[in-house]
Amino acid sequence: MIRGTVAIFSRDFKKFLSNPFVLLMTLIMPIAYLVVFGNAMGGAITGVPIGLVQEDPYLEETPLFLALSEALAHRAEPGRAETFQVRVFTSEASARRALARGELAAVVVVPSEVSNTHAVRLYLDSSEFATPALVEGGVRGLLVVPGTRAPLEVYRLYGEVNYFQFFGVGVIVMAIFMSTMMGGVLSLIRDWELGIIEGYLVTPVKRSSIVLGTVGSGTIKGFLSGAVIYTVVLGITGLPVPGPGTTLVVLLVLFMISAGLTSLVFFIAGRLKNQQSFAAVNGFLNLLLFMTSGAFYPTLGMPDWLRAFTVVNPEYYAVHALRALILRGQGLEAIAVDLTAIGLFACACIVLGITTFRRTLE
Amino acid sequence: MMTVESERDGPANDQEPGRGGAPEVVRIEHLSRVFGHGSGAVTALDDVSFSIRRGEIFGLLGPNGAGKSTLIRILTTLLAPTSGTARVGGFDLSREPERIRSVIGVCPQASTLDLELSAWDNLAFYGHLVGYPEKGLNDRIRELLASAGLEDRARSRVSTFSGGMRRRLEIVRAFIHRPQVIFLDEPTIGLDPEARHEVWEQIERLNAEETTVVLTTHYMDEAEHLCDRIAFIDGGRLIALDSVRNLRGLVPSGDVIEVGVEEVPEEMLERLRAHPRVEAVERRDRTLAIRAADGARLVPALLQVLDEAGLRVVSLSIRSPSLEDLFIYLTGKGLGARTGPPARGAKTGRRP
Repeated sequence: MIRGTVAIFSRDFKKFLSNPFVLLMTLIMPIAYLVVFGNAMGGAITGVPIGLVQEDPYLEETPLFLALSEALAHRAEPGRAETFQVRVFTSEASARRALARGELAAVVVVPSEVSNTHAVRLYLDSSEFATPALVEGGVRGLLVVPGTRAPLEVYRLYGEVNYFQFFGVGVIVMAIFMSTMMGGVLSLIRDWELGIIEGYLVTPVKRSSIVLGTVGSGTIKGFLSGAVIYTVVLGITGLPVPGPGTTLVVLLVLFMISAGLTSLVFFIAGRLKNQQSFAAVNGFLNLLLFMTSGAFYPTLGMPDWLRAFTVVNPEYYAVHALRALILRGQGLEAIAVDLTAIGLFACACIVLGITTFRRTLE
Repeated sequence: MMTVESERDGPANDQEPGRGGAPEVVRIEHLSRVFGHGSGAVTALDDVSFSIRRGEIFGLLGPNGAGKSTLIRILTTLLAPTSGTARVGGFDLSREPERIRSVIGVCPQASTLDLELSAWDNLAFYGHLVGYPEKGLNDRIRELLASAGLEDRARSRVSTFSGGMRRRLEIVRAFIHRPQVIFLDEPTIGLDPEARHEVWEQIERLNAEETTVVLTTHYMDEAEHLCDRIAFIDGGRLIALDSVRNLRGLVPSGDVIEVGVEEVPEEMLERLRAHPRVEAVERRDRTLAIRAADGARLVPALLQVLDEAGLRVVSLSIRSPSLEDLFIYLTGKGLGARTGPPARGAKTGRRP
């Protein structure tokens, strides 16, 4: 019994030690969790872009407007950067257009006449998590300071969006990533591991065919699982079912994200020769991409170095596009940038994947 | 080195008209391959040069680890040589690997069948990869399945197949596009005698369709049975290359008398070697291999010598020298497996 136990133990341990890459990843993962997860979740939200405008007709700046613009711009939690980044508009319409485009998290409209009956209006992008409450609390607090009695009227642009709904949209993207871990590229890794690939590397099949075929099948698998999770999310979070036009655009986005993520996984992990390494790399990628995608928590709450990463994170664009479509009911024009970014990203990864894929053993 | 370079008009080809002047389908020049670097470097192939003629069954023979699989992997574009060049089907290995891939068929040593797919799907997959015309593909698959004796198992998953069935399927798969050259790496390893004979017949049938067959084996009987010409490889070097008949001619004439004994004292060997009619004596495990002219007439005298020494003889046979005797003669060591398949020691591991 003892000898058998020791034999089984030492065999497993030897294998563990003989794969330094997996060994390294098992050590790096918890640290990465600490750094990425710790910084991505629950950080102080700063630099929230808000618009400030005085109601039409614009006669002259009221003392309240001046006081509020000063106070909003300088509001900060102790030891933190300024909470708000104030953009002053000269017309209410343009301010609200900027809000609708997603450039602002809120617009504060100060009445041209200050009195008890002329309310300060606050328009909130309610599709975000945490920031609407932060803005509302901040504005309400500052209104007390100048000693006015102007009441505050709050308008939520997209109705009440709870965290479940906010997070649900991000989960669709996660579902797609998960399926890229399971399908597509993984079957290529298995072919390496089983040696099956040796059989077809000696056929005239093109390197690009191997890459495109693998990425293509992974994309379809990701798309299908994304579509299923999308339906489930709509069902359990109580979000309104969008019309056929929006649904088609959502499906287009799901397809493009699937292509982008599968090709990214192919480019980064497609050359690995065993499933353990593949799983380790994927776990790491998933952490990095998902945590910085804004799916959990607004990216405004992240430190600058981590937020900088969102620029090259396809999941960030994916989450943004899906929120625009599903939570904010916006159309193609609101997600044009996202689609372009994801498309470019997918193309770059496919090209890199093809050029770096080795068609020989070793 | 006793390399006998392709003698086109040599006696080996007298009985095979048309092959003597056959063009080369594979030409290998000074091919070497080193794995690893520095002190851990292993030379798997060491300056190997030879040619393979169109239409022949060519055997690469050598013990496990001789470099046969490495050579096949280089010729099938899976590995790059460290130095040297080769042409396959008229195409240069380093410059036109894509062209080579379209004229070769390969059956690697470790199975590369997709066990989760059916026999039919495995063949169809390769049919598409090698660009077989879409229109005739179904007929071709039916034809190949029939030739492998698997028509009634076409839709079964390959995971349910026996080792012999898998091998036959894999060989016809390599043949789907009627390649100029087919490379078979240890085609009968791990198969029982019946399955081996089926594979042999299959290889001969395919060869009859004008395909050059290059096979590696460490079974002597397989090489003798199938091959027109044989290259002996050992330690990454080419030891000898010729037709089976000519190679046999390299061994000193005479018979081999194999005597099974329970033990062989060293002095016994000396006494046998001292016998005037004995040419050579070798000990292989519990067998004495004694070479002598006209062996049958020497047996009584031999038995007397052994009897006087008090050694019990458990078996005795007289035979003409085999390729293994030749191999031992050339390299001073055995192949490790005389006739396959051995119960153990079969090479299953894959090297990169």
